[in-house]
Amino acid sequence: MKKKITIDGMHCASCSSNVERSLRKVPGIKEVSISLMTKKAIIETDREIPEAELKNAVARAGYKTISIE
Amino acid sequence: MDKNKDKSIEDNEAKTWRKKLVIAWAITIPIILLMYLPVILGVMFFEERVMTIILLVVAFPVIFILGFSTLRSGFRGFVTFYFNMDSLIALGTVVAYLTGLGSLFFQIQNYSGISAMIMAIFITGKYIESKARGRAGQEIRKLLELGAKNARVLRDGKEIEIPISEVKINDILIVKPGEKIPTDGVITKGESSVDESMITGESLPVDKTKGDNVIGATINQDGILYMKTTKVGADTFLSHIIELVEEAQGSKVPIQKLADKITNIFVPSVLTLSVLTFIGWLAFGGGVNHAISNAIAVLVISCPCALGLATPIALTVGSGMGAKRGILIRKGEAIQTMKDVKVIMFDKTGTITKGKPEVTDVETAKGIKEKDLIQISASLEKLSEHPLSKAIVNYANLKSYKSVKKFKILRGRGIEGNILGKDYLIGNRRLMQEKKIDFKILEDKIEKYEGDGKTTMIVSSGKKVIGVIAVADSVKEDSQRALKYLHSKGYYTIMITGDNEKTANAIASQVGIKKVIANVLPEDKSEKVKEIQSKRGGTYVAFVGDGINDAPALKQANVGIAMGTGTDIAIESGDIVLTKGSLIGVCQSIELSKATFSKIKQNLFWAFAYNLVAIPLAVGGVLHPVFAEIAMALSSITVVTNANLLRRKKI
Repeated sequence: MKKKITIDGMHCASCSSNVERSLRKVPGIKEVSISLMTKKAIIETDREIPEAELKNAVARAGYKTISIE
Repeated sequence: MDKNKDKSIEDNEAKTWRKKLVIAWAITIPIILLMYLPVILGVMFFEERVMTIILLVVAFPVIFILGFSTLRSGFRGFVTFYFNMDSLIALGTVVAYLTGLGSLFFQIQNYSGISAMIMAIFITGKYIESKARGRAGQEIRKLLELGAKNARVLRDGKEIEIPISEVKINDILIVKPGEKIPTDGVITKGESSVDESMITGESLPVDKTKGDNVIGATINQDGILYMKTTKVGADTFLSHIIELVEEAQGSKVPIQKLADKITNIFVPSVLTLSVLTFIGWLAFGGGVNHAISNAIAVLVISCPCALGLATPIALTVGSGMGAKRGILIRKGEAIQTMKDVKVIMFDKTGTITKGKPEVTDVETAKGIKEKDLIQISASLEKLSEHPLSKAIVNYANLKSYKSVKKFKILRGRGIEGNILGKDYLIGNRRLMQEKKIDFKILEDKIEKYEGDGKTTMIVSSGKKVIGVIAVADSVKEDSQRALKYLHSKGYYTIMITGDNEKTANAIASQVGIKKVIANVLPEDKSEKVKEIQSKRGGTYVAFVGDGINDAPALKQANVGIAMGTGTDIAIESGDIVLTKGSLIGVCQSIELSKATFSKIKQNLFWAFAYNLVAIPLAVGGVLHPVFAEIAMALSSITVVTNANLLRRKKI
């Protein structure tokens, strides 16, 4: 399933790459695609991942989640 | 709703940087004067210690207040080991500032003024970057703003205006002349024409009457329309387009993966290099001041900020340009692969041709009345959704149909059914051959029709042929022009179709395609694509076809270009979706892909170039930290400005 996470504060490639790395560590996430332009991380998962887990992963990299669709 | 939030996040960002920019320079310009006027005029304004303290005080707000968000982000990187580019600036400016404090106690130079200058230049760069990023997304933002905000709904016999979010499926909406169609629906009453150019690119208004579908965000011309809502919110055509475009912006272009890898190791490497530079210069007896200066220069110039922005921003501008022309790039990868495509395979029906076949000829066998043939054929074809079937049903225009039993669709061959005890077949040569039905008596007529580029359907009753119906599907107006262009650019084109060879050849010659693969069953199309791909030790093939029916072939091809089937782009396959349904879109996609990809390469070059030249200079002690920061800001500015230049390209 696909989810879109809108993240605040990523303004450079290393920021987005850090978030990507952090999200990839969450079990069940198969694909992560982050766009600096839309400020969204589009993830593909093979299980229903609780929002808190996703928010934590983003926070671990140092950023705030604005919304998850 | 969320989309508006996105827009304001971007606006806020640019505004924030601008505020910081103005204040930063308001303080820093006096600092510059304070630092350098004495040198130029040869006069000391203040005693050295006093000067140092003044600089420390004045520089403080620039670095620690205006630069707070940057410092926080940068130092968080140190704590979590998730280093980012801000880490470099943070460290550079703070260390520089600390030299100021240090100079009160030790014999080292006060770089705190320089620190403020670095921060001011950095902020300037960030501002220009965020503005350019905003500008890059403007076409896409225009898409977001296309949607209607309100709708006029008929509830309990009364007309009331409600916000678009409150519209429900099956609501009857009233659209007056000149107004925007609020959402996707079907016309229940009224007649008008609708300007659909913003969504489908169809330049002439389309006539709409009862039973026709309308798309939200298109503009009603001069009649009143009553419509029943079929889709709202995220299910509408417009929403799907926006989603596709958003997805594309996040998709990876292969060349970027390399850039990403470099970015990942860059920051830690630079930190190490900076420390080594410091130690190195100390060891070589350059003096502490020089060592510090160079270390800071290394930190500051090595920021690969531009590198990270290079691809995404070019992709955004390219996507926006495409969206404006009805070209939806779904996978960024397609942009890179497109340049290697040598062969383009086209589906025939609905891609090269209009896909709206019409009956042109009806020929009966001896002793059969045309009326009977038509009635039997139409009764059978009524049960099939195939365009050829619809052509026959439309032609027959019957008021009543005979009831059909044991109806079966034989894919790629035809249909069969039983009317009043008799078994009938309608289909192509292959079907007749398989069922061992002899159609020699009508063979010459069949050949004639096929020679004209028509599709023939042979009708049989039992084991006897009773007639032939010829159907013609005309070539789209601009298909010829599109193919001419592609041939002139050296592409090898192939037509692939389930239709028979004669018809296929006739159509192919109309558009100038030399190679035809006919009689292909739907399930074999992707196999054929694979075959061509394996030729000559591997060839890159683009396949142009229907988004839903040709999904396997689209997936198999190196680049799948789907001709929009109208309202279902959500489930269509294809790396690129053409909403306009014109083959010119294929030509434009190729041009756009090439232009965007070359822009990406240019950006990556510029991003690298500044760093590559400046880092050795910084290590070598020839680059002053301020110039290093200027160079760094310039590299970002060059990249984002260059990306926006892509818009100038004529597609």
